[in-house]
Amino acid sequence: MTTVELTFKDYKSKLKPIWCPGCGDFGVVASIYRALAAIGRPPHEVAFISGIGCSSRIPGYTTAYGFNTVHGRALPIAQGIKLANPELLVLVAGGDGDGFSIGGGHVPHAIRRNPDLTYIVMDNQIYGLTKGQLSPTSACGSKTPTSSYGSLEQPVNPLLYVLSYGAGFVAQATPANMKDMTAVIEEAIRYPGFSFVNVQSPCVTYGGDHQQVKAHKKWMKGLESLEHDPADRMAAMELASHYGEELHTGVLYRNPDPPRTYGELVRERQEALAGGLPRERILESFIQR
Amino acid sequence: MTTEPESSPPERVPATDLVIGMAGSGGDGIVSAGESLISAAASEGYHAMMTKSFGSQIRGGESSCRVRIGTTALHNPGGVLDVAVALNWEDFLRFGGELPVGDHTVVIYEEATKVAPDELPLGDVTPTDVFPVPIKDIAKKSAGTQLAKNTVVLGLLAGWFDLAPDAILSGVRKRFAKKSAELVEMNEKAFQAGIDYAKEHPLRQARPLARVERSTTGLMLLDGNDMCAAASIFAGCDFFGGYPITPSTEVMQYLTREIWRYGGSVLQAEDEIAGVGAAVGASFAGKKAMTATSGPGMALKTEMLGLATIAELPLVLVNVQRGGPSTGLPTKPEQSDLFQAAFSGHGDVLRPVLAATSVADTFRVTVEAFNLAEHYQTPVIVLSDQEIAQRKETVDAIDTDAFEILHRRVPTEGELEDYHRYASTESGISPISHPGLEGGNYLAGGIEHDEKGSPSVKGEVHVRMNEKRFRKLDPLLERDDLFSVEGDADAALGMIAWGSVAGVCREALALVRASGVRAKLLVPTLLWPVAERIYGEFLSSLERGLIVELSHQGQLHRMLRMHVDLPPGLEPLTRSGANPFRPAEVARQLTQLQNGGVR
Repeated sequence: MTTVELTFKDYKSKLKPIWCPGCGDFGVVASIYRALAAIGRPPHEVAFISGIGCSSRIPGYTTAYGFNTVHGRALPIAQGIKLANPELLVLVAGGDGDGFSIGGGHVPHAIRRNPDLTYIVMDNQIYGLTKGQLSPTSACGSKTPTSSYGSLEQPVNPLLYVLSYGAGFVAQATPANMKDMTAVIEEAIRYPGFSFVNVQSPCVTYGGDHQQVKAHKKWMKGLESLEHDPADRMAAMELASHYGEELHTGVLYRNPDPPRTYGELVRERQEALAGGLPRERILESFIQR
Repeated sequence: MTTEPESSPPERVPATDLVIGMAGSGGDGIVSAGESLISAAASEGYHAMMTKSFGSQIRGGESSCRVRIGTTALHNPGGVLDVAVALNWEDFLRFGGELPVGDHTVVIYEEATKVAPDELPLGDVTPTDVFPVPIKDIAKKSAGTQLAKNTVVLGLLAGWFDLAPDAILSGVRKRFAKKSAELVEMNEKAFQAGIDYAKEHPLRQARPLARVERSTTGLMLLDGNDMCAAASIFAGCDFFGGYPITPSTEVMQYLTREIWRYGGSVLQAEDEIAGVGAAVGASFAGKKAMTATSGPGMALKTEMLGLATIAELPLVLVNVQRGGPSTGLPTKPEQSDLFQAAFSGHGDVLRPVLAATSVADTFRVTVEAFNLAEHYQTPVIVLSDQEIAQRKETVDAIDTDAFEILHRRVPTEGELEDYHRYASTESGISPISHPGLEGGNYLAGGIEHDEKGSPSVKGEVHVRMNEKRFRKLDPLLERDDLFSVEGDADAALGMIAWGSVAGVCREALALVRASGVRAKLLVPTLLWPVAERIYGEFLSSLERGLIVELSHQGQLHRMLRMHVDLPPGLEPLTRSGANPFRPAEVARQLTQLQNGGVR
C-alpha cells in the first residue's frame, strides 16, 4: 500500500461525462477526487465498481481501475475484487434503482460480510437513463411515464435499510454542501469495513423542484448542528426513519468499535491453513492407501 | 426409441467384470456398502466404479447404487446387472431402467418382503438364481441390530462372488473404528454371518471374479466433482464464487475445505448471480476464478457471462448437468444443457464449451478450461453431468508434469507506457492488466469500448471489437487434440458421442469390433465452436452411424447440422435423461445399421 502526494486532478480522467449539465453526480465525482487525493492512494491502487444507470458511469470519469458492470451487481463483483486483492481501495457506486431495486438483494449480504469497501448511492428518486420512470425511492403518488396516475407503493428507505442490517458506517450527503459531502466520503473510505453514503443527487431533467440543489440548501439539516451522536445506532435509526420528509446530512452512524472485516477473517483463515500439499501434488490426497 | 434391456447371459468364467445393483430405503446403508465394495476392489487392484442414485427426498426415501468391478479399464457403469440386491422391492423398482435385471442376474432380496422367488415383480424377466435371504434376521442375530443389514449384504457378496473378503472386512473395520470397538465387533460378526449364509446356499453356477495382477501404486478413488475442484487448484484457481445446487455442490464443498491453503478463497454467495459476479470480480483483479452450478443456476448466470465476454475476462464455469427444464430431475443425469452452454446470452458471442467423459477426464478438461480461459481471456464452460460428477471411480495415477499451465498475457513495460487494454493484435489477444499494476489503469465494462477501453457506440468500433473477440478463438478450430478418434479410422460405420455417454459408446465400439465389424468413434472434448475441418475428416469415410446423446432433442446432432454436412446414414440416437444407455444396446443398434436394417 502506498500513499503519495496527489491532487484531485490526478484522479480526473479525460472522458467527458454523459450527464446533463447541472446533474448532482458532477458534485459527487468531484468529492470523490478530493477524498481520494486527501487519502493519497495512487489511482492504480483504487478499483471503482459500478452497475448500470446515469450515476454508474462514474468510474470512467476517474483515473482509477474502473469496472462499469451490469445492472444491480456491482456489490458482488466488488466483493470478489476485494477478496482477490485485499490491498486495493474498493469503491462501489450506483443509483437508487441499481442499489435498491434490481440489486437490492445484494445489499444485506454485503453488509453482513462486512468487506472493507465504500458504497456510494446517488439517490435521485428517478430512473434518469431511461428517461424518468418510477424508482424504488420515488415518493408514493409520483407521476412518471410508468406511473401515469401516481405510484401506489411506498418508497424504500435506503438509510433505514442499511442501518437495520448492521452497516458500520452510514451517512447522507448532498451536492448542495460540497465541503460536507467530501468530508463524509473521505470518512466513509477511511472506515475499516462496509461503509455506505446515500447522496441525494438531484436529477435536473426529471427530478422535482424540491429535489434540486436550490431546494436542498433550504431544507437540509446538518446532523452536527442537531447534536446527533453518530455512535448511537438507535438515534440514527430514528433520524433515518424521516427519510423523504427531512434531508439530514452528515454521519448518521459510525460503529465506535468496528468489528473485524471479512478480508481480515479470510486472511486469518488462509494463514491458519497455509501449507499442505503444493498445488502440483493436489491429487495425492486421493491415492488409496 | 427402444429402451428394453437385452439379456444375453455372460459367457465368461471366471468373470472379468461384475455389475452389482443395490437398492433400499435411505438409512439402509446401501451407498455405504457400495463405498466399502469399491474401495476393497480398488485395494486389490481391480478397476471399480460406483454410481449413486436417489429419490429427491432430503432424508429417507429410496437410495441405490451400482457398483462395477472389472479386471480391465471401465468406461461406464455397465449394462444389465449381474447381481441385484433388493432390501425391499418397492424401493428397488423405483429405479427402473437404472437397475435393469435380466435372466442371468443373480437376485438377492430380503425374505421378509414375503415375495415368492417365482413371483418377483420383474415383468417378463425370470432370473434363474434367486435368493430370498433373511437379511434383517441375520443382522439381528449376529450383530444384535438390524442396522448391520448392509454389512450382512457385504458378507453375502463376498461369499458368493469371492470378492476380496479380507479387503472388505478391513474397510468395514476402518469405517467403524472411528466410532467404537463395540461397533467394529458387531459388524465383523454380521459380515461373517453373511459369508456363512452364502457358503451354505451356493449359487447354481459359481461366478468368481477373475483375479487381477495390477500395481495399485498411485491409484486414486474419487468422484467427478472432487476431481473438478482438485483440478482447478492444480490449474491455479484462486477464487470460487457459487451457490449450492444439486448435483454440483461438492465442487464448492471441496474448495471450501482446501482453497485457503493456497491463499485463495471461496465465497458462498447470496445467489447464483452474485456467485458468478464475485468470480468475474476476482478475475478482473487478476486471479484465476471459477464458479460451478447446474442448469437452473446457469440460467441465472447468463448475463454475467455476457459481461465477461465483452470485458474479455477469463472465467471457468462448470455446469454439472441434470434433467431439465426448470427444476426437472435434480438428481439424475442428462445432456440437455448443450444449447444453453453454447447459445445462452444475447448478442454476437462465442464462448468455448468443453465436456468431460469420465472422472479421470474431468482433470484434463478442467485444466484445459482454465488454460483456454486465461489464454484467450474468455469465459469457458465445462459440461459435466450428474453421473460423472457423483460417480466414484478408480483413476490411474495422472502424470501431472505433462500438463502445461497457461497464464493470461500481462502487458510489458513498453505496453504500459501507452496502455491499450483492447489493443488490436494479429491474434486478437490483447495484454490484460489488473488493479494494482501501475500504468495499466483502464475502464472495463459491459458497454462496447474502443481499444483503450473508452465506451463507444460507434458502428465501426463495434465491428472491430466483435471481429477481434471472434478472431482470437479461431485457433480452437484446429485443436485436433481436443478430439479423440477411436477404432478403425477409415470405417464406414461410426458413432459420435460426448460426456458420460462417450464412455458407453467406447464399450459399445469394442463390442462391435469384437464381433468382426469395422467401426469408429469420435469423442469431442470441444463441443462449441464446431471444428468443421475435424468433423469433416472423421465423416469423410462414414456412411452410417449414430450420434448418441442422453437428451430428447439430441443437441449436438442439431448443432452439427448447422455446420457440417452429415451423411444421411448418420442418425441421432437420443433418449431423455435418467434412462441411461447401455453398451450392449448401443452396440446392437450400430450393428443393425451396419446390416442395413432399420433400428
